[in-house]
Amino acid sequence: MGVSPLRGNDKTEYLPCGEEEHRVTSPSKGEARRGRGFYDGWYYSGLIMKLYFTLNGKKTTLDVAPDRRVIDVLREDCGLTGTKEGCGAGECGACTILVDGESRLSCLMLAAQLAGRQITTIEGMAGKDRPHPLQDAFIQHGAVQCGFCTPGMILSASALLSRNPRPTRADIRAGLSGNLCRCTGYQKIVDAVEAAVRREEESA
Amino acid sequence: MTQVHLPQTMADLWSCLDGDPGALIYAGGTDLLVKMRTGKTAASPALICIDRLGELRDVRETAAGIWIGAAATHTELLRHPVISTHLPVLTQALHTLGSPLIRNMGTIGGNICTASPAGDTLPPLYILQAEVELRCRDNARILPIREFITGPGETQLQQGEVLTAIRVKKPAGYNVHHFEKVGQRKSMACAVASMAALLRLSPAGMIEAARLAWGSSGPTIVTDATLEDTLIGKKLSQETLTCAAQRIRQIVTPIDDVRASADYRRTVSGNLLLRLLDAQLQNYAKLPKEL
Amino acid sequence: MNPYIPEIGKPVPRADGAAKAAGAEKYAVDHYGENLLWAGVRRAGVAHGRIRCVDTAAALQISGVIAVLTGRDVPGTNRQGIVHKDQPVLADEKVRHRGDAVALVVAEDRATLKKALSLIRVEIDPLPGVFTVDDALRPDAPLVHDEHPQGNILLKATIQAGGAQAALEGCDIFIEETFHVPAISHAFIETENGVAWQEEDGKIVLVVSTQAPFRDKWEISHALGLPMDRLRIIGPYLGGAFGGKDGATVQCLLVLAALHTGGRRVKMWWDREESFVAGYKRHAVRLQYRLGARSDGTLQALHCRLYYDTGAYAHLGGEVMALGMEHAGGPYRIPDTLIEGWCIYTNNPIAGAMRGFGVAQVSFAFEGMMDLLAGKLGIDPLELRLKNALRRGDRNTAGVTMTQSTGVLDCLAAVQNHPRWQERKAWKKAAGPFRRRGVGIAAVFNAMGYGRGLPDSALAKVELTKEGRIRIYSGVSDMGQGNATAFVQIAGQILCQEHTAIELVQPDTERTLPSGSAAASRTTYTYGNALIRACEELRRRLTGRTALILLSDTLDDLELLPGRVKNLMSGREIPLTALAAMMTPEDRVCISQFIMPVVRDKLDTGKEFVIGFPHLLFSYAAHLVCIEVDELTGAINVEAYLAATEAGRVLNPQAFEQQVHGAIAQGIGYALSEEVLMQEGRIVNPDFATYIIPGALDIPEMVSLAVETYEPTGPYGMKGVGEVGMNGPLPAIAGALADACGVHMTRSPLTAERVLAALSTPPPP
Repeated sequence: MGVSPLRGNDKTEYLPCGEEEHRVTSPSKGEARRGRGFYDGWYYSGLIMKLYFTLNGKKTTLDVAPDRRVIDVLREDCGLTGTKEGCGAGECGACTILVDGESRLSCLMLAAQLAGRQITTIEGMAGKDRPHPLQDAFIQHGAVQCGFCTPGMILSASALLSRNPRPTRADIRAGLSGNLCRCTGYQKIVDAVEAAVRREEESA
Repeated sequence: MTQVHLPQTMADLWSCLDGDPGALIYAGGTDLLVKMRTGKTAASPALICIDRLGELRDVRETAAGIWIGAAATHTELLRHPVISTHLPVLTQALHTLGSPLIRNMGTIGGNICTASPAGDTLPPLYILQAEVELRCRDNARILPIREFITGPGETQLQQGEVLTAIRVKKPAGYNVHHFEKVGQRKSMACAVASMAALLRLSPAGMIEAARLAWGSSGPTIVTDATLEDTLIGKKLSQETLTCAAQRIRQIVTPIDDVRASADYRRTVSGNLLLRLLDAQLQNYAKLPKEL
Repeated sequence: MNPYIPEIGKPVPRADGAAKAAGAEKYAVDHYGENLLWAGVRRAGVAHGRIRCVDTAAALQISGVIAVLTGRDVPGTNRQGIVHKDQPVLADEKVRHRGDAVALVVAEDRATLKKALSLIRVEIDPLPGVFTVDDALRPDAPLVHDEHPQGNILLKATIQAGGAQAALEGCDIFIEETFHVPAISHAFIETENGVAWQEEDGKIVLVVSTQAPFRDKWEISHALGLPMDRLRIIGPYLGGAFGGKDGATVQCLLVLAALHTGGRRVKMWWDREESFVAGYKRHAVRLQYRLGARSDGTLQALHCRLYYDTGAYAHLGGEVMALGMEHAGGPYRIPDTLIEGWCIYTNNPIAGAMRGFGVAQVSFAFEGMMDLLAGKLGIDPLELRLKNALRRGDRNTAGVTMTQSTGVLDCLAAVQNHPRWQERKAWKKAAGPFRRRGVGIAAVFNAMGYGRGLPDSALAKVELTKEGRIRIYSGVSDMGQGNATAFVQIAGQILCQEHTAIELVQPDTERTLPSGSAAASRTTYTYGNALIRACEELRRRLTGRTALILLSDTLDDLELLPGRVKNLMSGREIPLTALAAMMTPEDRVCISQFIMPVVRDKLDTGKEFVIGFPHLLFSYAAHLVCIEVDELTGAINVEAYLAATEAGRVLNPQAFEQQVHGAIAQGIGYALSEEVLMQEGRIVNPDFATYIIPGALDIPEMVSLAVETYEPTGPYGMKGVGEVGMNGPLPAIAGALADACGVHMTRSPLTAERVLAALSTPPPP
C-alpha cells in the first residue's frame, strides 16, 4: 500500500487500516490530535480503545472509540467503502460483512466487538488476480443493476455456501432473505449463486 | 462517547457491572442498538457486550431437560441437534425470526429480555414451560418465564442481574409440534400474530393433551389453561377448533398499531387454531410416536 | 474474461458490473475527503405554520460548528423546483410540511452536527393543515401557498376526445367505481447524499446522487443566485433512484453549505428516516371511473375524475398527473373519453416523480374496470382485452394516432398461449386446505420521453483518446438501469472495438454534454440515438484521416477493426494509437445531437399542460400472475409471474430482463405491502421495519417474454422499457384476487388485513 508499517512501543508490527496513517492517540494525553485521513470526530478523550484484529487477511491495529460503529470504522477509518449503509438499523443488509466467516450486520456492531476477530469485507473476497467465483457469477448472470446491495449479497451468499454448499433455489432465497434489493427482483441473484455452486461442483 | 466493555469471563462481567452499575448489557445488539439509535432507549455511559462469554452460549442436555445459555445465538440454536431434536416448536419459531443476519447476531436471552409481545421465541418458550436463570454476583434465582416477563418490554430483571440461561423440560408425549407466525413479509417481519402449539392426539384423533400460546395478541404472551382443558377429550376437528377460536378471540387483548389493527389480530389469533387441522396431517405422521 | 466486441442484441454483461461486485465503484456516498465537514438539516416537525423565529444562538456556541444558516442566509430566490419553483431551500415565512427544511448546520463531525441541530430553537405558530384532497378543495380551506392564484389547485386539466357524457348514457353496459392508491416511497438503498466544495477560483463542485446533473445546475443557479458557470456537477452511478432523485434533494442545501466552509469539503447524507420524511413520494390518487360499453364488450365511453395529492410543493406534480391522464383509458380504443384531473397541494410530504409516473396509479383503475366489465358481461377477461386493444393506426384515449410500434396485442397473445393461462383451471383446483388460488391478468403501457413542450434531447460525445481507446462521455445518469452498457454496445457495434478498449465517463457537467434527465424511460433511446450518430461520424472521421496516412484514394476499402484501421484492399493498417497521435484533440472528438420525435396530431385538448403532453411512443406489456390466498390470514402469496413486454427490439436481452424483473418486484411491493402511512402529515412508518419492501422470499420466479416489434425511430429499433413493468402487478394481483375469492378490492395495497376483512364481508345481494 506504500505506507510503511508503524512500530508500536512494544515492538509489535502492525499495519494501518487503509492507506492513510492512523492517528495515534493516547488516553493519557486527553484531547486527541486529528490525524490524516477520513477520521471523523475529535471529541475523543480518555476512552480510546486499541484494537487488534484481522481485516481481509491482514493483521490490523486501530485506535478507536469503542462505541464507533463498525460500518464507520470500515468506510471512514479504513477507507473501505465497499461496505454500504442503507438503513443503519439492521433491516436492509447492505452493511453485511463476515466476522470469523459468519455474516453479520456491521451497522449494528460496535468497534470493541472487532477485537480478535477475522473480518472480511467485499474488498477481501477476490483472489490474488481474479474475482471470487461469486463476484464473477454476479457479473455474468446479470445480478448487478445499481449494485448497491451487491457487496452485502455476495457476502451473505458466501456465508450461505460455506454452510450449505448445495443449496436449492429456495435455500438461496432464504439465505439472502436479510439482504434487500430494490432493483433486481432477486431472481438473477439466485441464478448467480446457483451458477457459482455449479462451477464449484464442476471444478471439484 | 460510550464505554464498551467486552468481558471474557463471568468474573469480568461482575467487575464491569460493579464499575458501571447502570451499564446496559447486550449480546447481538439487534434490539438494543436499534433502540439507542432512535432514542427509544436512552444513551448510557457504558455498554457491556457479552458475546465473548462462552459459558453463556452452551447448550446442555440432561435426561429430562435442556439448559440453553442465554447468549446462544438463534443460528447456534438452529444448528444444535439437541434443540432441533427435542424442541421442534422452538426450532420452527427460530426459522421465522428476522433473517440469517439477525439470527447470527441475536440471542435467545436477548429475545426474552426485550420482552416484546411479538418476540418469536416466546410462544414456544411459554408452552415449553421454560424457566429463566437470573444471576448476580452472589446469587442466582429461577423464575418461570411467564413470571419473568410482566409487560411489553418489562421484565423482573433487577439492577446488577443478568439472564444467564433458559431451562426447559423436554416435552414428552406430544405428537403435534406447531408454530406459525403471521408477518407482513416472509423475512424481516415483526409478528402481527403468532401461535405455538403442542398436542397429543390419540390414534383416533382425540386430543389428550394440549398446550397453546399466542403472540402479538396482548401485553404479554397469551395462554389459557381453561381453553386447553376444554380441548381435552375432544376430537381434533373443524368444529372443535372453531369453538376454541371463538373463545380465544374473547381472551386476547391485542392493540392497534402501525402494522395491524386489534381486530385483525383478534380474528387471526383464532383462525390460527384451524391451521392445526393442516399441521396434524403433516406432523402427526412425521414425528416418532413417543407416548 | 477474454476481450470481446460488445454488440447489439447480445446479453453483454454490465460494463460497471465488475467494479460494483468488487465494491470498488464509488457512488456519491463513497466520496469523503480531507478535513471533511458534515452538513445537516433541521426540519419543521409541524405540517403547516408560520415561522416566528429560528434561534440559532445555542447551536453556534458549540465548538466544532462552522455555520448555522436559515432562510435569511439564502442568496438568490430561495426557491427550488423543476417546473414550478415553489419550494424554499430553507423555509422563510412558512412551513408547509413536516419535512420542510428550516435550518442548515455545518459541523466538524456527525456527533457535533446532531447536537447542534437539536439545540436550534424553532418557534412555529401552527396553522390548520389540509391532509386530504377533499379538505384542500373546500372553498374555505387553508391555503398551502398563499400567493397561488388557484388556491390549493396546482393544476386542473381536461383531456377530451369525442363526447363522453352523452355517449355514456347510450351504452348497453355502464360501470362505475372509485379506486384509491396511497403514497409510496422509492426506497432506493443509497439514500440522498452528496459532497460539495468551493475551489480557489470560486467554482463550486458537487458530487451528488442525481438523475439530472445538468438540470441541477439550473435549479441551484435559480435558487441560490449563482451563475451557471460557477457550478460543476458530477453524477456518479446511483445506488437506485426510480425518480426520487429527479429534482434537487440535497443539491441546493449542499451548495449553500459549501459557500460557507472556506474551501473545505462538506458532505450531506440523509439517513433512512430523513429520506422518508424529506424525500419525494409517489402521488396518492383517488380515481373515479365511469365506463360504458356495448354488450359485446366493445368499449364506448370513459369518464374519469382523478385527484392527485401532490403534497406541499409542486415538484413534477402537474406532469405526473398529465401522464396519468394520458394513460387513464388504458391501451384500448375508446371513442369517447373525458378525463378530468386535479393536482392538489396539501400539507402532506412532497409527491414527485416515480417509476410509472402517474401511470401506475391509473393502471389499477383502468384494468380494474376491465375486470369488472368482463365479470358483468360474462366475457373472458383476456378476450375482452384482445377485443379492445390498440393497434397501429388507431387513436388512443388521448386522441393521438398510434403511428409507431404498438405491440399490446402481441403481448396479450403471448400470455394467452402460455401454459400458465392455458392450464389455469387445473392449477386453481389444486389449492390446499384454507387456500384459494386465482389467476389475474393486466394489459399495461407506458409512454417514453418528455412529450411535447420540451425538447427530449441528448448530446452524445465520443472520443478516440490519445491511448487509442474509445471514450464515451455519457450525458445521462446510470441509476442501475444499465444505459451505460447499452452505450458500450452501440460503440462496440459501430466502431468494432473490444470491450477492454471502450471507456465511459459518467455525467460531469464539465466533461460530458447536456442530455436531459435519467427519467421517462428515455435515456437509452435518446442518448443512444445521438451516440449512434456520433459514433458513425467518428468512424467516418477515423477512416477519413487514415486515408490521408495510408494514401488510400477511396474510403470504401478502409475498415475500423479492433485496435486499428485497415485497408482491406492493400492489407496495410494503422494502429489507433498511431492514428490518434496524428490527430488534433478536437479532431478526435465527435459530438452529435438527437431529439426524440413528437406527436404531429393537432389536438384540441389537454391545453392546460405546458409540457409533457402528448406522447408519441409507448411500450406495452401483458402480465399474468398466479396467487394463493390464505383464508386464515388473508395473506396473498404470489406463486408465479409472467410478463410479456414489447419495447421495440431488444438491444441486450439480459438488461431487458433485468428491467422487467425489477419493475415486477417493485410492482409487487406496491400491490401488497407498501404504503406511506400518514397522520396529519406525519409519516408513521419512516423506516424499513415498518415500510415493507419485498425480500427474496416474497418475489416468485418470474418469466419474462420479450415480444419484439420494430420501432423505426429507435436506436436499432428499441424503445425504453424501464417503467412499463411497474404498472402491471397491482391490477393483475387484484384481478387474481377477484378470481380466487370473488372480492374486488379497490383500495391498495392489498394487505392481508384488507383481504381478510373483504373475505369476511358478505357480498352484496
